[in-house]
Amino acid sequence: MKSSPIGTVLAEKNFIVDAPPERVWRLIGKVIFSSLPGLENMEILDENTFRALLRAPILGFHVTLKLKGEMVDMEPPNSFSVKLFLEGLGGLFKANQKVTFIMTLMEKGKTSVSCKATVENLAFLPRLFLLGQARRFARSTFGAIEKRLKELA
Amino acid sequence: MIVTVPEKWDLEYDVVVVGWGAAGTAAAVTAHDQGAKVVILEKMPDGGGNTRICGGNIIIPKGKEFIEYLDTLSFKTTEREIIETFVEYALKNGDWIREMGADVQVFRPLEVAYPTMIAGAGFPHVRGAETAVKYNIKGTPEEGKPSQRLWKFLSGLVTKRGIQVLTRTPARELIPNAQGEVIGVTAEKEGKAISIKARQAVILTCGGYENDPRMKWDYMPVKPLLFLGTPGNTGDGIRMAQKVGGDLWHMTRLSCLIGFKSPEFEAAFWVSFLSEGFIFADKYGQRFVNEAGIEIHEYYQELSHFDTEKMEFPRVPLWAIFDEQTRRRGALSRGTAGYNRDLYSWSLDNSAEITKGWILQGKTIAELASRISVEPKALEETISRYNRNCRAGRDEDFGRAKEDLRPLEPPLYAIQLWPALINTQGGPRRDKESRVLDPEGKPIPRLYAAGELGSIWGYLYQGACNIGEGLVFGRIAGKNAAAESPWS
Repeated sequence: MKSSPIGTVLAEKNFIVDAPPERVWRLIGKVIFSSLPGLENMEILDENTFRALLRAPILGFHVTLKLKGEMVDMEPPNSFSVKLFLEGLGGLFKANQKVTFIMTLMEKGKTSVSCKATVENLAFLPRLFLLGQARRFARSTFGAIEKRLKELA
Repeated sequence: MIVTVPEKWDLEYDVVVVGWGAAGTAAAVTAHDQGAKVVILEKMPDGGGNTRICGGNIIIPKGKEFIEYLDTLSFKTTEREIIETFVEYALKNGDWIREMGADVQVFRPLEVAYPTMIAGAGFPHVRGAETAVKYNIKGTPEEGKPSQRLWKFLSGLVTKRGIQVLTRTPARELIPNAQGEVIGVTAEKEGKAISIKARQAVILTCGGYENDPRMKWDYMPVKPLLFLGTPGNTGDGIRMAQKVGGDLWHMTRLSCLIGFKSPEFEAAFWVSFLSEGFIFADKYGQRFVNEAGIEIHEYYQELSHFDTEKMEFPRVPLWAIFDEQTRRRGALSRGTAGYNRDLYSWSLDNSAEITKGWILQGKTIAELASRISVEPKALEETISRYNRNCRAGRDEDFGRAKEDLRPLEPPLYAIQLWPALINTQGGPRRDKESRVLDPEGKPIPRLYAAGELGSIWGYLYQGACNIGEGLVFGRIAGKNAAAESPWS
């Protein structure tokens, strides 16, 4: 099966938070995890690596995906990425995602937060059926992160 | 002091190291590399002690301002020159590890758990805090948790050098001569007493007293206090040092987390939460603290409140009350650290522990309250008030940060938690040369100590400093012991 081009963008979002990057940095880990209510059975394997189950809506059903995540390229308080490997539907669905967060100091102590999720090497069938779902999920997660960060700032 | 020097020694070495953890390794390796014939006595079947089961981080400060930070934390319980010596050597901890053939990586934790494993200073508002940096031995999760990688590295140094280790060999007494010099050790091997001559010195690195109930009751500020670390730490080094005239210091100090205890297990399980949906309640169903704001090693500060009317510690044990999302998010005891880490695998959704009755559940607050023997009305009022605070985004009672607030909705769960030690800090008083001192401040000849046995952490504890300190004063003790002239 032919794979999708490397680094297909799932979602991008930019927003301003009324707090400096240091504060956003301290909040963002907990905010990401609390914005994923279907995140269960989480195991922290090492300080930067975790495994979990993610109950996500796919084609109208709640499907349990296995998730392995690794925090990479950490440059506090300016940026970091999470590399995610997702697997579900009995191995039919496999995806490598990368979610990057960039925090930039704006005037008056505000922070511009830029979020971008990309998927790599998604096979043809999952791409055909699931890419739209994955995009919606990424967009709604970014929306939840934005809402929570703005509440807490 | 009655002096009985054996007429014949069973074993003879230059330097005898008692206890095999980080400090014992650093001491033994340093003494060996300076030409001394070294033996390590270890009472347990395997070495490692708390080193093998702790968080595995090592402090390597990034500047001398760390002296100011530690001086503030010590609250004048440790002489500044000792702190200065510590920092001077701790700055080189990374170099030492690299010289010994490993490498280090900066500890950058996922700050998602309660309590939070903090990357740097535990007390970030204190001057010099920005210089606190934690590292661990470089490696991947597949190569083990940080403390497993640390112990693999340290134990390898001993093995590689062929340093003799006598396991299941507890030291029982130090042997002084008529001049008060420590010249050997009486140990127990296969039920028999053996005398081991130390031609140059003895180094005590055998940990604290977290598994000595009487000492804990005497010295600890909160009672009872469970232990999370090795059952091997029973205060042996403290008694041995006292018998040869050693002074004691820092006996009331500790590194204290919270833990759950099942009678099936000797040690407690360290408990933390992967989601903000939890509170702590005392025996009467009352909140008493910002549960998300306790420094990870300092739980005793909050739990040691004694009610002089009721004549009890009302927060010991406490109940952690948590919601369904927290229950499902991940194991309450995650195997990060603690003696039980390799003995039991806590279920990821906590369901097995509900079945065992370790975690209690209630479909309503009243049902949960009755299961934990708390007045239902009191718990209902506590949770109702907490939920109001969450919805308002402001904890008016204890100042819990708004990012840590989420209303608790049934079904709810409860687990009984106790103050639980990773380690104590007290033991024989020592100087910056790692020499054990008598009550007048004079060194006891040929006796050294390092590590958590009489550690230099006399008041607040900065994470990763116990391993850092073990490596520093282990090296100093090893160097000085190997430089002693043989006594015969």
